[in-house]
Amino acid sequence: MHSALARINNVSSLFSTCLMVLLAAVALSSLFATADPKGKIDVVSLKVYNAKAKRYPFKEQEFGFVKFDIDADLSPLFHWNTKQLFVYLEAEYANTQGVNNTIVLWDRIVRRKEDAHVVVASGRNKYKLKELYESFKNTSPATFSLKYNMMPYVGLLMYGEAARTEGHEIPEARDAIA
Amino acid sequence: MAPLQDIIEGKIDFIGQKRVDSISRIWLAASTVVSFVVGFALQSLRATMGTFALSTLLLFVMAVPPWPVYNRHPVEWRK
Repeated sequence: MHSALARINNVSSLFSTCLMVLLAAVALSSLFATADPKGKIDVVSLKVYNAKAKRYPFKEQEFGFVKFDIDADLSPLFHWNTKQLFVYLEAEYANTQGVNNTIVLWDRIVRRKEDAHVVVASGRNKYKLKELYESFKNTSPATFSLKYNMMPYVGLLMYGEAARTEGHEIPEARDAIA
Repeated sequence: MAPLQDIIEGKIDFIGQKRVDSISRIWLAASTVVSFVVGFALQSLRATMGTFALSTLLLFVMAVPPWPVYNRHPVEWRK
């Protein structure tokens, strides 16, 4: 501490220790924020069509088309350590092999508390709903769930589920009208 | 050259060194607690980091230059 350089060294090393303690305290404090907001999903329609598989010109495959309404107020998840939310709609069903499949159909990134009331009226799946075995025949009914991933500035990612529907029977595939 | 070296080196006496040490400890510990409380009260991490950064800058201004306060007890050498 006798020279200016020694004092800079001493203060900055103590500063970095205190910064780590501060960040750890922030990360710990957000573990106690246990908001568990609930919303609802309505699946308006679920249709399956035969269509050409991409990249395979002679192969036909079944594609599911979902129309849904979402109403979920996720603003309680926004506290001082929330950076953004990743909100996503998942379809879950068991295929003929008994394998449980989950497919992300739709997602949204929420960056501000003002946008955290997620309302979607007759939304359609952004991502393709298709089976690895090419057909939804004899699969179990599909349940749809709205899930979120809370990303903090400091600390651990938090996952949660805001809504879940009853099982929806996946209908027979229809031929698309040309 | 020598006066410039003295300014850069910034020597302070033993009692001054002890003082700087305790000031920086207490100041940093207190500002950690205060900035957490401020950020939690305002619900903003920006406030936490801003308070902590400003108080650390203030501490650098207080502790690093050889202020005359830290040179009030020069060592008296036997003649």
